[in-house]
Amino acid sequence: MKFNVQRNQLMESVQDVMKAISSKTAIPILSGMKIDVTEEGVKLTGSDSDISIESFVPAEEEGIVYVENIEPGSIVLQAKYFPEIVRKLPEQTVEIESDEQFNVTIRSGSAEFNLNGQDAQEYPQLPKLHTENSFELSVDLLKDLIRQTVFAVSTSETRPILTGVNMSIKDQKLQFVATDSHRLAGRSIPLEDSANKELFSNIVIPGKSLNELNKILDDTQEKIEISVTENQILFRTKHLNFLSRLLDGNYPETSRLIPEQSKTNVMIDSKELLHSIDRASLLAKESRNNVVKLTTKENTSIEISSNSPEVGKVFEEVTADTIEGEELKISFSAKYMMDALKAINSEKVNISFTGAMRPFIIKPAEHEDEILQLILPVRTY
Amino acid sequence: MNTWGDFENVQPIVAKMLENSIKKNRISHAYLFQGPKGTGKKESSFLLAKSFFCKYLEGFNPCNECRDCKRIESGNHPDVHPIQPDGQSIKKEQITHLQKEFTYTGMESNQKVYIIEHADTMTANAANQLLKFLEEPKRSTMAILLTENGQSILNTIRSRCQTMSFKALNTKQLESRLVASGISEPISKFSAALTNDFEEAERISQDDWFAKGRTIVIKLIQVLMEGNDEAFLFLHNDWLPHFKDKDQSQIGLDLLLIWYRDYVSYLIERKDTIIYIDEKEKFEKYTFSLSRDQATKALKKILEAKNKLKANVNPTLVMEELVLQIQR
Repeated sequence: MKFNVQRNQLMESVQDVMKAISSKTAIPILSGMKIDVTEEGVKLTGSDSDISIESFVPAEEEGIVYVENIEPGSIVLQAKYFPEIVRKLPEQTVEIESDEQFNVTIRSGSAEFNLNGQDAQEYPQLPKLHTENSFELSVDLLKDLIRQTVFAVSTSETRPILTGVNMSIKDQKLQFVATDSHRLAGRSIPLEDSANKELFSNIVIPGKSLNELNKILDDTQEKIEISVTENQILFRTKHLNFLSRLLDGNYPETSRLIPEQSKTNVMIDSKELLHSIDRASLLAKESRNNVVKLTTKENTSIEISSNSPEVGKVFEEVTADTIEGEELKISFSAKYMMDALKAINSEKVNISFTGAMRPFIIKPAEHEDEILQLILPVRTY
Repeated sequence: MNTWGDFENVQPIVAKMLENSIKKNRISHAYLFQGPKGTGKKESSFLLAKSFFCKYLEGFNPCNECRDCKRIESGNHPDVHPIQPDGQSIKKEQITHLQKEFTYTGMESNQKVYIIEHADTMTANAANQLLKFLEEPKRSTMAILLTENGQSILNTIRSRCQTMSFKALNTKQLESRLVASGISEPISKFSAALTNDFEEAERISQDDWFAKGRTIVIKLIQVLMEGNDEAFLFLHNDWLPHFKDKDQSQIGLDLLLIWYRDYVSYLIERKDTIIYIDEKEKFEKYTFSLSRDQATKALKKILEAKNKLKANVNPTLVMEELVLQIQR
């Protein structure tokens, strides 16, 4: 294997790939970074077995040549040293060469490094890409989907399946659902091209992987291609492939949890509500459950209050736009409520209650069907 | 040990059972491999994993050449998870980590294998945690638990595994192989008594440390038997500097154990089982001063001492106590 590459392009790729490599790995080979060289360019791969990132430096793009003198081959290099070496090389071009014994030589200007590589055959095989079984989204939309759901995944391992976000395609809609059994966050969007939507019905992506993906992607209008293989899901942008393993098992049926009728409906300015709950939670934090209380008042206002006997009390009245239906007193976790309101990110929200002991739903006033946040109340006496 | 044929030479019964289950595609979801050290438990678990993953099986033999086989061999296969004790025992965190691993889909295939070495060292918490997913096996996972001490595995775990008992290798066979490879008879007997594995036995035979250890044990017995109160001095001057850490002390006690066992064998006229064959004169000499009862009592004390070492008692104190108890 042999190639010459522009240092900046290589550095960029190396930095992307390093995000997947963790210092403590289950199998030794994963502490390395795989380099595949073909006539098309150089592909770097890093993995911690949960997620894998592939980054591609094309041989030539828009008339600019990035990789030259290509002799195809593959090698695995120690990820501990390689990035630092690349960063500190003196010249713009880097020459990398490996021999039969997996000895790697890195040359740039007058500097020369000899590194011990490992056999690329030892590296895990990532699934082959099935480009025909895929659909596209714009990157910022995907980031929205992730941001609005992933915070609700469970952090405890008692029900591992709940640590993931359920992704499903039904009636030409793509839906993300996450729940930790105390709250639920859901977001659905219509899919534009609906020709090949029978690729998968229901998969669960680990929340951790989605968080990681969210960090790596920039907010752009560019398209990202999503395909699902047997064990893994692939998110593909122009030069970056992000793969994550899936969670094994059946995601609980969540549609039944969502109450269809409501007894009390409140339409309210979401910022005002968020801030007042934030204030109320200042005292609530002291007590264990972080509980605040919401009471409907006459003349379309609601009272947010919190009482922790050892600290003190707080009351605040917030004017709602409309209140319909029965009077209500309900307690819930301030943290869940704030998370939900932040995720909705809309000027006005609709909150539908079905009694003090039943879960309630928060939806934005516009695009009602797209976002849904459900919270279970807390029983207080 | 790369093929089932090789394995069959060492463990005919276990090999046959496993071969049949592979042939009939009835591999169990959990196996417990139990048997003494050096009987090929780990090798066979790798062999089984290879047969499980290899795509180019020749009959039921893995090809040993494809990527899957090679990576199982080098410990780099992403869907094979070997677990070894972290220090003294297998901790709960290790099992929790494994459990998390198993909620994910496979990295390359839908099959997964986990191999737990020294499964008897699992802490109670870890064992109970493991039980949870031994009880509800996911599709195509296989657990292989390896242990030298099948009895100290929780009943609840044992009952969920198919137990494979690895027979101790024939010591006589090992001995004659060692002698054939040019090692003197007393040393061959001695190495064969300490391990069941030919390669390890060979290593022991050539290791000066073992030879010196053997001399020290013989000397200690002499000091104990002559009874001129120098045992403590000897212990601190010779024994403790040689058998330094816990593992070495265990070996030292093993050597001592073998001597007393030999003595008892000598008294009951089972002279062919004697390992310290060059010590026969001494046995003869001590017949009048050391009775069979005293020797059995000493054996018991040595076993107790071994257990104490395992329970993290200070080796120096254990040895001092032992010497006091078996001193005449």
